[in-house]
Amino acid sequence: MRRRAVPQILLFGALAAFTAINLTPILWAFLTSIKQPVDAFSVPPTIIFAPTLEFHTQVWVEKEFWRFLINSAVISISTVTISVSCGTLAAYALSRMRGRSSRMLLFGLLAMRMFPLILLAIPFFVLAKTLGLINTYPAMILALVAINQPFTIWLMRSFFVDVPHELYEAAAIDGCNVWQVFSRVALPMVRPGLGVTALFSLLLSYNEFLFALVLTGPNTKTLPVAIAEYGGEDINYWSLSAAAAVGIMLPIVAFMMALQRHLVRGIALGAVKG
Amino acid sequence: MNKRGMNRRQVIGGAVGLATLAGGAKRARAAGPVQMVSHRYPALEYYAEKMKTAVPGTTVNTQLMPFDKAHELVTIAMSSKSDNIDLFYANDSTFLTYVKNGWLRPLDDLWAKYKQEFQLDDMVDTMMKTYTYNGRLYLVPHTMNSMLLFYRKDVFDQAGKKPPTTIAEYQALAKSFNTPLRAGTIDCLKPVDAGLNEAHWYMNALADGWFDKDWKPIFNSPRGVQAIEALKETTRYAQQGFTTAANDECTIALQQDIAVMGLQWATRAKSMDDPAKSRVVGKIEWAPPPQGKARIASDGYGISAFSKQDPDTLFRILATSSNQTNMRGAASLLVPPRRSLLTDPELKAQNRFYPAALAAIDTGLAFPALPEFYSVGEFITRRVLQAVTGEMPVKAAMDAAATETENFLKGRGYYK
Amino acid sequence: MAALAAPTLARRRLKTALHGRLWPFLVPSGLVIGCVLLYPLGYALYLSLFRYELGTNTQEFIFLGNYSALLQEARFWESLARTTGIVLSAVGLEFSLGLAIAYGLYRLTYGVRVFNMLLFLPHIVTPVVAALFLRWIFMGRWGLLSAGLLGLGFFPPDFLGNPFWARITVVLADAWQFTPFMILVLYAGLNTVDQSQIEAAQIDGAGIWTLLFHIMLPAIRPLIVFVLAIRIMDAFRFFDQIYVLTSGGPGTATETITMYTYALAFRLLEIGKASALGVLTLIVSASLIALMIAAIYWRERERI
Repeated sequence: MRRRAVPQILLFGALAAFTAINLTPILWAFLTSIKQPVDAFSVPPTIIFAPTLEFHTQVWVEKEFWRFLINSAVISISTVTISVSCGTLAAYALSRMRGRSSRMLLFGLLAMRMFPLILLAIPFFVLAKTLGLINTYPAMILALVAINQPFTIWLMRSFFVDVPHELYEAAAIDGCNVWQVFSRVALPMVRPGLGVTALFSLLLSYNEFLFALVLTGPNTKTLPVAIAEYGGEDINYWSLSAAAAVGIMLPIVAFMMALQRHLVRGIALGAVKG
Repeated sequence: MNKRGMNRRQVIGGAVGLATLAGGAKRARAAGPVQMVSHRYPALEYYAEKMKTAVPGTTVNTQLMPFDKAHELVTIAMSSKSDNIDLFYANDSTFLTYVKNGWLRPLDDLWAKYKQEFQLDDMVDTMMKTYTYNGRLYLVPHTMNSMLLFYRKDVFDQAGKKPPTTIAEYQALAKSFNTPLRAGTIDCLKPVDAGLNEAHWYMNALADGWFDKDWKPIFNSPRGVQAIEALKETTRYAQQGFTTAANDECTIALQQDIAVMGLQWATRAKSMDDPAKSRVVGKIEWAPPPQGKARIASDGYGISAFSKQDPDTLFRILATSSNQTNMRGAASLLVPPRRSLLTDPELKAQNRFYPAALAAIDTGLAFPALPEFYSVGEFITRRVLQAVTGEMPVKAAMDAAATETENFLKGRGYYK
Repeated sequence: MAALAAPTLARRRLKTALHGRLWPFLVPSGLVIGCVLLYPLGYALYLSLFRYELGTNTQEFIFLGNYSALLQEARFWESLARTTGIVLSAVGLEFSLGLAIAYGLYRLTYGVRVFNMLLFLPHIVTPVVAALFLRWIFMGRWGLLSAGLLGLGFFPPDFLGNPFWARITVVLADAWQFTPFMILVLYAGLNTVDQSQIEAAQIDGAGIWTLLFHIMLPAIRPLIVFVLAIRIMDAFRFFDQIYVLTSGGPGTATETITMYTYALAFRLLEIGKASALGVLTLIVSASLIALMIAAIYWRERERI
């Protein structure tokens, strides 16, 4: 399909302009993080200034954000691993069951997702407290896995639904047992989907705030909670939170760049059939 | 670890146990570090550092966060009688809620025991009264705070004006100084805390306060309505975005030459002269709020009623952080609630805002001693904002707030 | 008839056998959800039938008392109307913008991957932090937008303090964070449309817009449903940004159902009523989604 040069340039220009505007808040936050507070919130905005990395170093070293990064990493990676595993198994089963019970389960899962999370914070806290799990990793991980399941199951199911039935029948004839059908036939076909699901699970668990506030303690504090602690009462804090906010984006960006290739193909192959 | 004995754990033990082993659980301590939760601003950060080294051999984990988040966390933990917070912050208003709910341990016994060692008699009487409920003491005072009138001396001098002594004068001055590029004054009306602060000043100075002695709302009386009308009038000369401005934004407005004057906390005074934050170094002066009756507040720390730590240790931590030496170190960040420091000439010389702060404390008023004030504050600030933005007429808004407040309090057992 | 019956019976038996063998696959997920999610959900639902004051821990069974109280309150209906307005505007904006950008990327020859990465960045920012970023842009006088306009000589409106602008700001805040999600998913969807169909249409002389609306969109209808459903659900639970940007103000211009739920739970400490409001939110959300699905498939039904 031939695409003419002039419209291409216009298109590129339009997209570039939109992207630039879209990224302004992030860029501005980055600039704020390297300015002194007196310049950061000035009228008119200060464009020429002497940059400083003091807030960035303060955040990561003095305020010990590297510790919270470790917590966030442990919790996120564990969550993604467990959530995608459990969800994929369930999604496979639900994709092959075509009865009323499976549909009810699916809609039940969706309904769970519609309930406001803030109301679950207190029961969660009580449950975790009773089991003595406050300030431990398992509390956060289990909570995040559970919250994540509806979306994960729905997304993975839509990938499984695309697997042609003939493959299952062929495998059954070949004498594969139930697990082998899953692991040797279905799973390889939805591999791109796994990447996509993993990414969204990672985003959810990495960025979750309210449950982290309630379920983590000094030993397991995650990055979002740490950042929220600098929300106000002194402009210095705002510069700090700007530095922290920009900093915590980097691991995810790195992860995305690594996974980039699979992302688009993954969603394309799967979610279309809903 | 999870094979201990409790049946509940064994039932859910399977999945939890697996994750526990996999995730390397760190058990919540039985009697280990002391956990402290607090609001965050410079003075409290200073105190938190002092608490960490207060009692040798005891580790103190401090968690500081914005006011409402600290309040949420304490609410969630205390309402389930959890022991995972030992010390927490309260101000003169939220402390009443906490006491009524039974979340704070009375301190009278410990206070008497350590009075000599930490010179606890030196604490200002009004503070002690504020933190006493039904005859028992519940918090160790750490700061006092009063709202002051911050104003730009250079702008005032240029116009040949002096600081206002009445609210009418204040409004006239705000109007005369108001220009598109620089507002006449600041208003900080973000619900709930900031909004209540401002309304409190008008309600007490121009009307008869919030409640009568039976806790029936009187803020919708004709004078009360007039007070809010006055507040509405002032907002005409206030900075943009005042409906979502809390203390931070108002402070920035003053520091960035966006407004000429306004009411703010004394704890913000020092930052006006900090060149890393302020463009108006040396240009701001302070006066007591016109007509007085603005809010005075104080922050303190209390001991959780459900803590399993040794109360003596916990008290010693709080008493040490607020002792004379430590409090002196924070003297420029707050108004110290110790008589010896208030009358110290050296401190007065160092902190230009002290005279105004002391005068403000003399004429100021704390929030009503109603434990549910913060909760009904939700109704009040919402309606005040509706009135101020013109969504509803002021009288209708105040009447609605009064009705909602009365219904709420009736539901909590008042008016028997 | 008998010849048909046998295969059907055999198929059903196979189906039951299959289901029987597949149930174990549901166990891990079911265990996690059952133990971790069902208890809190159930507890919250249970609480909605009580008058429960968090501070003093007093409970009083009032069955549907909370629900009837809420349904009679002006505050409930007003915030519901506002929320629905914000949700529909935001999701509408995200969808149109997302589709336009996705289609643009589809037709672009160079730099697609770079654009995809850059455009996805706002979605990665932690919501509490994103709210702060946006506040620094929209705050009156010293926010980037206002300060910039002032520098250029224009007097800017009060983006957070004016009811009209505040609603627009809130919608823009939601769109900023979630349009990337739309772009990613719709772009991928557009890429799966059968090439042969497209080429056939082009031979017939279809222009670029006809191609999009009459060929490609109908082909990815299930995807559109999925993405709109997710967004509607999440937009209803939208909280952090509104809390930080406008706190429900000015006045009550941006007070949504979730803000009211937060106020009930953490300021008024009425957990029972807050839970009831949560259930009502769920019902409203589900109804909207059902309507949306019906609307999208309406033409199909008529054809049948």
